Amino acid sequence: MTALTLRRPVDPGAVTVSGSRRRLIGLLLALVLLLVLLVASVLIGSTSISPAVVWKALFDPTADIDQFAIRDFRLPRTVAGLVVGIALGVAGALIQALTRNPLADPGILGLNAGASFAVSVAIALLGIRDIQSYMWFAFGGTLIVTLMVLALGSTRRGQSPVMMVLAGLCVGSVLGGAGSALELTNPDAFDAMRSWNAGSVVSRPLELIWPILPFFAIGLVLAFLVSGPLNAMALGDEVAAAQGVQLVRTRILAIIALTLLSGGATAIAGPISFIGLMVPHVARWIVGPHQRWIFAYSVLLAPSLLLVSDILGRVVMRPGELPVGIVTAFVGAPVLIALVRQKKASGL
Amino acid sequence: MSTRVDFGRRVMVLRRRNVAVRVEWRSVVVCAVLVLAIAGTAVLALMTGSFQLGPGQVISALTGETTGLVRDIVVEWRLPRVAAALVFGAALGVSGAVFQSTLRNPLADPGVIGFSQGSYTGALIVILVVNGTYWQLVGGALIGGVATALAVYLLAYRRGVQGFRLIVVGIAISAMLASANTWLILKADLDQAMAAATWGAGSLNGVSWGQVAFGGACIAVLLLLAALSSRPMRQLELGDDAAAAHGIRVSAVRLGLMVLGVALMATVTAASGPIAFISLVAPQIGRRLTRSAGITLAPAALIGALLCLAADYLAQHVAPTPLPVGIVTVILGGGYLGWLLITEARRRL
Amino acid sequence: MTTTPLKRRGAAAAAAVLSLALVLTACGGGDDKSGAATGDKAAETRTVTAANGAVTIPAAPQRVVTIGNTDLPFIDMGGKPVGVTGVPDSDLALLPPEQRATWEKAENLGDEVDLEKVAALKPDLILVQIPDAEFKKMEKQLTTIAPTVFWGLDTEWKALAEGLGEAGNVKDALGKQKAEFEGDVAKMKQTYADVIKNTKFVNLDRYSNSDPGTYVIGDIGCVEIAQDDVGLNFPKAPAGKDPLAYESLPFEQLSKLSQYDVITYPADDKGQATQVFAPVVATNTWKALPTVTSGRALGVFCPGNNSYGAVLRYLDSLDKALATLPAKK
Repeated sequence: MTALTLRRPVDPGAVTVSGSRRRLIGLLLALVLLLVLLVASVLIGSTSISPAVVWKALFDPTADIDQFAIRDFRLPRTVAGLVVGIALGVAGALIQALTRNPLADPGILGLNAGASFAVSVAIALLGIRDIQSYMWFAFGGTLIVTLMVLALGSTRRGQSPVMMVLAGLCVGSVLGGAGSALELTNPDAFDAMRSWNAGSVVSRPLELIWPILPFFAIGLVLAFLVSGPLNAMALGDEVAAAQGVQLVRTRILAIIALTLLSGGATAIAGPISFIGLMVPHVARWIVGPHQRWIFAYSVLLAPSLLLVSDILGRVVMRPGELPVGIVTAFVGAPVLIALVRQKKASGL
Repeated sequence: MSTRVDFGRRVMVLRRRNVAVRVEWRSVVVCAVLVLAIAGTAVLALMTGSFQLGPGQVISALTGETTGLVRDIVVEWRLPRVAAALVFGAALGVSGAVFQSTLRNPLADPGVIGFSQGSYTGALIVILVVNGTYWQLVGGALIGGVATALAVYLLAYRRGVQGFRLIVVGIAISAMLASANTWLILKADLDQAMAAATWGAGSLNGVSWGQVAFGGACIAVLLLLAALSSRPMRQLELGDDAAAAHGIRVSAVRLGLMVLGVALMATVTAASGPIAFISLVAPQIGRRLTRSAGITLAPAALIGALLCLAADYLAQHVAPTPLPVGIVTVILGGGYLGWLLITEARRRL
Repeated sequence: MTTTPLKRRGAAAAAAVLSLALVLTACGGGDDKSGAATGDKAAETRTVTAANGAVTIPAAPQRVVTIGNTDLPFIDMGGKPVGVTGVPDSDLALLPPEQRATWEKAENLGDEVDLEKVAALKPDLILVQIPDAEFKKMEKQLTTIAPTVFWGLDTEWKALAEGLGEAGNVKDALGKQKAEFEGDVAKMKQTYADVIKNTKFVNLDRYSNSDPGTYVIGDIGCVEIAQDDVGLNFPKAPAGKDPLAYESLPFEQLSKLSQYDVITYPADDKGQATQVFAPVVATNTWKALPTVTSGRALGVFCPGNNSYGAVLRYLDSLDKALATLPAKK
C-alpha cells in the first residue's frame, strides 16, 4: 500500500505438466469451496429457516413470509458477494501485475478515494440519501479518477507504473482530504458516509446489481485478454517489447478493466479494501507468476473470502450482524500472516 | 551542514575545538529567509481571529499591559496554537527527513509498521469507550501505536526479521485495525464519532500551553538527538558501503535513526492526531530550496514549521468553515508531493 | 482562534445514558438582595446550580449564546439566542417556521464552536449541553467570556427544560408548555385506557448510520414519552442493560414481529415513513406482516424529544395515529 517495492523480475519458467495438473486440482478444490459457500450463504442467516423452505423459496415460490427472507435478503446478498468478490479479486490481480508490486491493491491508484469523494458530494451537496443512488456516483467517481490518473501519469512515452501510482497518490490524497472536509463540516453527511464506508453487500436488490454486470463482463474479458502480455511485462518492459507486446495498449486495456471491476465493486458494496490485495497475492504464492492462473484462482478465492466473511458476520453477533467490509480483514489477515510466516523466503 | 564534496559552492567552515561544521552559504540564506517567513506568518496568525483585535491591542496583550478577555484571547488561545503549529511542524519535518534519509526512499513512512492505525485505534478507544481526558488520549494513542508496532515486529519475527515479511504483516495488521476503527466510528454516537474523526484528521483545536510545553519538551530532546546524528545520516546517504568505510555501524545507526524518526512522529500524533504529509513534503522542499543532493535537517525543520503554521492559518481563517489542519495538509501536501514527483519523474523519462 | 468540536443532538446522543439526571436544582439565590439594593436591571444577578456547580448569572440575560443541545429547547421556550451552534439540516427541517427563523437570525458558531466568535458576540449568559469531556476542554475559555451554565448529556429532557427555563429566564412559556403537556397526557390516558391495558406495542426505528438492511427495536427517543408518560406497553431493555435500540437487527428478523399487536415507526408530519426508515417499509416481508396488512402499523411523527414544544407535536401525532386503530377483536 505505502511501499513502492518493485518486484524483481522472476522467470515464469516452463509450466511443467505436473505443475499444471496440481494447479488444476487446486482450482477444482477452490471451485467446490465456492459452491459450498454459495449454498451456505443462502442457508445461514439471522433467523433459522429450514432447507426445505429455502428450496421452495427458490424453486417453487409462494408468498410465504419466510420465503421473502430468502428471495429478498439472502439471495441478493449472496449474488452481490459473488460478483463483488470476483471483481475485487481480478482487479487486485491486475493492479499487482500492472505495477509489478505484489502488495498493491486497487486503492493504490486512488480509485476508492474517488468513489468515496463522489458519494460524499452526493450526500453533502446534493442531499441524496439512498444506497441505490450512491452506486452511480461511486462508479462515476472511479471513472473520473482513472481519467485523471491516466492524464497525470502519462508521459510522451506512455504510462509508467510508478508514475501511475504517484498520480494515484496525488489524486487520492487531494480527493480524500476534500471528502473529509465535506464530512466533518456536515454531520448528516458524516453520519451517512460512516455507514457506506464500512462496506456491505446487504440491501442491494438484484435489479440494482444487474446493470453493473455488463461492466464486470467487459472487465473480465479485458483482464483475460491482457493476461498474456502482462506475463511478459513482468520480466520488464524491454523483454516484453522484444516479445512483441504492445506496452501502451496493454496498460490502457488493463486500466480500463481495473476501473470497471474495481469501480463496479465499490459501487455495489462500498469500499472493501483487503480482498483485492490479499487474494491475488496468495494466489501468486500458490501458482507462481502466471497471470492466467492468478486470475483463475482470484476469481474463485476472492468471492469465497467475501462470502465466508459475510456468513461469519451474520453468525458472530446473532441476531445482530457485522458488515462484511469489517469482517473481511479479520478473516483474511490472520491467514495472510500465517502464510507469510510459513513461507521460508520471500521469493517475490 | 553538508559534508559532500562541493564544486565551487561557497562553504563556511565553523571550527570549534575538534569539531568542524561546514555550512553552505545557500543553506544559511534559505534558513534565514524561512525564519523571516515563519515570523511573518506567526504575527499574521496572532492578529487574525473572529474576535477583532487591532495590532496595538495584540502587542499590549503580549507585553502584559492588557488583562482580561483580550489578553486571554491573544496569550492563552492564539499564542499556544501558533507555538504548537511551529513545534509540531518542525518535529514532523525532521521526522520525515530522518526517515527518507535512512531508507533512501522519498515515500518512507512509519505507517508501514502499523503505527498510524494503531495509534488511531488507541485514540478511538479513549474518545469513544473511555470518554477520557486529553492526557488519556495522548497515552492511548502512544500505547496503541507502540503496541501495534511491537505486535507487527513480533509476528514478523521468525529467526530474524525480514523486510518483506515485516511489510506483509504490517499490512495485515493495519487492515484489521482499520476495520476495527471503521466499526468503532460506525457504532459510536454521532457527536463523539465526529470528534474522534477530527482527531484522526489531525487538529490543533483548543491546544493549551500545558500541551505545547509537554509536547515541546519531548520534541526538543528528540531534535537534539537528531542534530547530533546528522553526520552519520549524511554518511548513510552515500550508501551502506561508503558509510561502513567511514567507520559507521550501518545497521545499528539505521535502527537508531528510525526509532528517532518514529518517536518524533509519535509525539506529534499523540499530541494532536496524525497531521499528514508534512513529514513527506518538508524534506523534499528543503532539498529543492537548498539545492543540496541530500536531505538536510534544519531546512526540513523550518519548512515543516512554516507549512504547519500556514496550513493551520488556512484551515481556520480561509476555509469557509474551520477545518482540522490535517485536512489542509493532506489536500495541499498530497497534491504538491504528487505533482513534484510526477514532474521529476517526467524529467527523468 | 480556538475551536472545539461540538456534539450535536441525535437520536443516540439524547439517549446515551438514560439513568437519572445528575443534577439540576435551579434556585433563585441572590436576586432579592441585589435587586432591591440597586434597582438596576442589568446588574441584578441570581444563582443557578447545574452540572458545573453554582453559577451567578444576570437576572434577566439579554444576550444568550446556546451551545450544543440547548439551542432548540431554548428557542422552543421562546428564547432568542444571539449565537447558536450547528444543527443538521435534517433537524432544522422539523422546526416550526417561526422557530427556524429565530435560529437562522442568530449567529451560527458552526459545528466546531469558534470561541472567539462567542467572545465577539459579547454574551451575558452561555448555556451548554455537550459531552463532559468536550466541556472540560472549553470550560475555562467560556467562563472567561460570560457566566456559563452546563448540563451533561445524561440530563433528562424535562430537567433540562426546567434548567433552561430558569437560567434563560423563560419560565412563563415553560409553565404554559408543561401545563399543556400534562393535560394532553391525562387526556390520552383516559381516551386509550383500554389500549394501554391490553395492547402489546413495538416501536421500530432506523438511524442514518444503521448498517444497510438493518433496523432496531426503538426504545429511545420519542417512544419513551409514549411508554413512560402515556403508559403504552412497549418492550424495554432489562435494567442495567444497553437500550434495545443499540442492537441492529437484519430485515430477516422482521418476520418475528407478529407477536406484537401494534407496530409504530418513524414518519414525517404527513404520515409517510421517514427517508431513513423507508427501506423497511419497502420490503415484501414488511408488506406481508399481519400487523401491517390489518392496518395496525402506525407511522408517528417525532420532531424531537428534547423540549416540550416538540413533544407536544409528537403526542398530537401519536393521538391521531392511535385513533385510527381498528377495534380489537
